[in-house]
Amino acid sequence: MAQFSFRVLGALVPLFLGIFLMLPRGGADRSPIRWLGAALVVLSLVLLVTFPLTSAEGAVAESSGTALWSLPQTLSCYTFHALAFVSVAAAALMITARNPVYSALWFSMVLLSNSGLYLLQGADFLAASTIIVYAGAIVVTFLFVIMLAQPNGAARYDRFAREGFLSALTGLLLSGVLIAALHLAMRTEPRGPVAGLASRPADSVVTIHSAANGNSLLATHPHVGGLGRMLFTEQVVSVEITGLLLLAAVVGAMLIAGHRTEETHVRK
Amino acid sequence: MSGNDAWLNNYLVLGALLFSLGAVGFLTRRNLIVIFLCAELMLQGVSTTLVGFSGFHGTWGGQVTAIFSLSLAAAEAGVALALFVVLFKRGFSLDVSIWSDLREEDQPPVEDEPLGDEPVETPRQWPHLAPAGRLPERRPGVSGEQVPRREAVAAGEGVARNG
Repeated sequence: MAQFSFRVLGALVPLFLGIFLMLPRGGADRSPIRWLGAALVVLSLVLLVTFPLTSAEGAVAESSGTALWSLPQTLSCYTFHALAFVSVAAAALMITARNPVYSALWFSMVLLSNSGLYLLQGADFLAASTIIVYAGAIVVTFLFVIMLAQPNGAARYDRFAREGFLSALTGLLLSGVLIAALHLAMRTEPRGPVAGLASRPADSVVTIHSAANGNSLLATHPHVGGLGRMLFTEQVVSVEITGLLLLAAVVGAMLIAGHRTEETHVRK
Repeated sequence: MSGNDAWLNNYLVLGALLFSLGAVGFLTRRNLIVIFLCAELMLQGVSTTLVGFSGFHGTWGGQVTAIFSLSLAAAEAGVALALFVVLFKRGFSLDVSIWSDLREEDQPPVEDEPLGDEPVETPRQWPHLAPAGRLPERRPGVSGEQVPRREAVAAGEGVARNG
């Protein structure tokens, strides 16, 4: 456990140090400090990906469960690593971009790579709806509001981060605790698919499901049909409540933004 | 560690990283819109975790929950962006620190780090489209004084700008 923690911390410390260095604090856009931060982020991601390869006791680590991102070296493994790399790197660029437009565009990059990861797990409907709803609607609405609210480009408050070091330290602690707890759970809990849960047949892109206990409903509706069945039978009340929530949000947004006030306070 | 466990572990680690990065951005940025984008990034981390569990157990439950969180994010974005438009109309700025007087009455004001006194960077030069074709001639039947397009645009550009 201690070994594992040191390894993870060894990869997380450069990640959040690089984030701290990349945060905007005035100065030129392409300063050497920013490049150093980007290099640290890339280094930590490479460390995270290649843990089992670089460690001398790789085989032992894999059998005892201490290897972090260890997978069978297949094409899907490489696909996962590439997509996860793009996702985390785009997230780092998103939270450090000085222009909010670039932040929104990097966020859509995160969404695209996450959709690829969903496809890898066989969640095809979720991947498609993430691209359509998130990248197609939400991010575009963000861009509209950014262009409404910032007609003249960069503002001063975009060029200075607030409490950058403490924030990066918080992120380091948060991710360290999360990953350590995860590792502890993976070592101590009995593993394997939970018996009694209805399983999908193993026909996703990655055939990782060893489940053979076929539910008849899921056997006849292996793909998005099964998802629809579950949404509109077991979860139908939740679907109705979500629809009510969306209606309330639409009414609330019209009430908030559609109201034109005559008096406008100018604050400084 | 079997293959299933490794996949689940990978998705959970990725979800934790995305969540933490979103938290860092949420804490450290000053622009309201970027703060909200970082909250969406945290939601993405949670969705990744849910999809990882869904694949691990081979059930639909995680995906269904991820779809609910997706629609929740859409509703949240609608209301929050409406709020940002109203706030920008009132304050001409998206800086969070100018809204600190919305706090509770008995709370002391938060002392923020002062912004640097560096001048706002010069506006970028955007590319111009090369002129193509020619203006259509005005038909004699159409009456009315039309404001030339360029002047209308120039008059609309006097929006106050804040730094």
